[in-house]
Amino acid sequence: MNSFQMAWRSVIRKPVKSILLFFVVFMISLFFLSGMASRNASIATQNKTKQAVGAGFLIEANEANKRNRADEILAKKTEGEEGNFDGVNVEKIETNYGTSWRVSYDNSFQTVLINDMEKIAAVSGISEYNITTAVTAVNPVDFSRIEDDDVDQSSDLLCVSLIGNKDMALDANVLSGNVTIKDGRMITEEDANVCVISEELAEKNNLSVGNRIQFNDRRNVENGTVFGAEIVGIYRVQQKMTPVMAGDTYRSENIIFTDLGFPEKAEGSTSGALYEKAYFKVADVNQYDEIKKEIQKVDIGWERYDLIDNNRNIDKMSKNFNDLENVSQILVIVVARASLIILFLVFVFWMKGRVQEIGILLALGTPKIKIFGQILLEASMIAAAALFLSFAAAPATSDITADYLVQQQVQKATEQSVLEEGKVAKNAVDSEETVTGVSVAVTPELMLYDWFGVALLVVISVGAAGILIARKNPKDIFSEIS
Amino acid sequence: MVLEVKNVQYSYKSQKEKEISKNVSMQFEEKKFYTIVGASGAGKTTFLSLLAGLDLPVRGTILYDGEDIQKKGLNYHRKHHVSLVFQNYNLIDYLTTEENVRLGGTKKPQDLLEKVNIPCEDWKRNVLQLSGGQQQRVAIARALASNAKVLLADEPTGNLDENTAGEIIELLKRTAHELGKCVIVVTHSKYLAAQADEIIMIKDGCIESVTELSD
Repeated sequence: MNSFQMAWRSVIRKPVKSILLFFVVFMISLFFLSGMASRNASIATQNKTKQAVGAGFLIEANEANKRNRADEILAKKTEGEEGNFDGVNVEKIETNYGTSWRVSYDNSFQTVLINDMEKIAAVSGISEYNITTAVTAVNPVDFSRIEDDDVDQSSDLLCVSLIGNKDMALDANVLSGNVTIKDGRMITEEDANVCVISEELAEKNNLSVGNRIQFNDRRNVENGTVFGAEIVGIYRVQQKMTPVMAGDTYRSENIIFTDLGFPEKAEGSTSGALYEKAYFKVADVNQYDEIKKEIQKVDIGWERYDLIDNNRNIDKMSKNFNDLENVSQILVIVVARASLIILFLVFVFWMKGRVQEIGILLALGTPKIKIFGQILLEASMIAAAALFLSFAAAPATSDITADYLVQQQVQKATEQSVLEEGKVAKNAVDSEETVTGVSVAVTPELMLYDWFGVALLVVISVGAAGILIARKNPKDIFSEIS
Repeated sequence: MVLEVKNVQYSYKSQKEKEISKNVSMQFEEKKFYTIVGASGAGKTTFLSLLAGLDLPVRGTILYDGEDIQKKGLNYHRKHHVSLVFQNYNLIDYLTTEENVRLGGTKKPQDLLEKVNIPCEDWKRNVLQLSGGQQQRVAIARALASNAKVLLADEPTGNLDENTAGEIIELLKRTAHELGKCVIVVTHSKYLAAQADEIIMIKDGCIESVTELSD
């Protein structure tokens, strides 16, 4: 009977020891594959993020400048005078406690100016740009919004939220990968009176692409002019979008993306649109710093804006993903070391349990190397079966492992964001929180690495455990048995 | 003679000053049934281990057909020159009766199992499902599977009842006289010892006497 026949019989007819080794190798292989896949995924995401999210500039209105301009205007007006002063509304309110003054701004006063944004967009190296409106609450006329039954709606605006975009594909929610189109398409610059609604809203109102929905001014629900928008797409989110304020008006499912001009019409604005931010995509990420210098040379009133440089964001995201890479690397190293110890102990246990068999084979004149070969063959047969099963299971477990590691990193980034709240670059850091997952792939190359790694571990462990037996002569073994 | 022991000395590596076998010399012939007797610790099993090539003597030589067994190596000696039977059978627990016999050599296991009276319905069964007596007969069949001229047995009836032990002794005698092998058995059993052609008495590592028994 040759070694293969002996090994096969031992594997099949001694199932307990075979199952034990099978389970150990299966787990080791899974951890190896998950660790390596997560490590590769983190690198891929890092590069992709640099290109997709990081390689751009964000322009927002400068809050301090807005207050300064308002203060200057108010300083010129006569005391006690009410009215609109160059976009600053001053309203006198009489209460039981006396007279108070409420100051608010017109859209025209606080908006990001579209002409300025067009000048920036003309800078060489900017491939595309987008302008996004502020979240605008409007009344839903012919459809119902999503509400939480447990929330008191008496203090809510009872509205839905509109976000207008010049090019929806460059909206921050889309760029981060959180919002994806389920049906239909995104909104482009050429569109007018169109919208993209959430899948929850579509389901609740039995709406589909091609239907029209209507809105009007929330402050004039009864008589406000009704504006209709055609649904061109239905979106879904990976994680709920963070509401800008409390109340079901701003909940994720009630956010409706529209073309850039629609929100000001639907809200019945008399002071134009309120553009909140603009995003400029850089064609070549390697030219980022040169393009930034060119942008800063553009002749616009820069005191009115914040230019948010995403370089810091890139560095920070890179750091987080490098951390993820390190964690994955550590996982692989820890698994390798722990596996070596576990496998060694398993094989020592195996050898101890087979001392008599080894003694018999030696007494029959079988060379030690052949006995060692048989045990290695048995281990290889079991390990091969365990490896194949782990290859089948690896994609699912790798996803879980990678998602877990990403969640840890996102949590870290969120905690960091909270710590940095109030700093100028806060908005840039926010985009880290939108990273909700990574795609991992267990490639044939990884499987090959895993195969070699596990095979090496098995050979080393069998060899190390075998030395304990190899040093004994047959007489010692029989003395041990008796 | 088939096996010859010349001035063999043996001591454990850890206790070199304590000699287990002291200057032992002896010759063994084919077609003869030898028993080695002596008190516990006298060095019987050690002597048998040296004959089997399970260990090496500190001094002296063991010759098989006139050739030092170390010349071709102890593995070769164990595989081709001698076959072994143990008190606790030493069968491989995950193999069938037939497969265990096949491990011993190239002879047809079915013929050997018939020869040692193992019913054919037991040939495909796991060897541990057989009785103690049957297992020892399988061990003898395995020993007979090789073309070795020498069969060495260490207390082969030690774990068996009287009747079964009798059957095993008969089998060993037949192996020597009918199959022409040299059978050397270490035993405590006076009855078994009395069945031999020659009784070798070992005391304190030395051969005290060799008694030839006539039929």
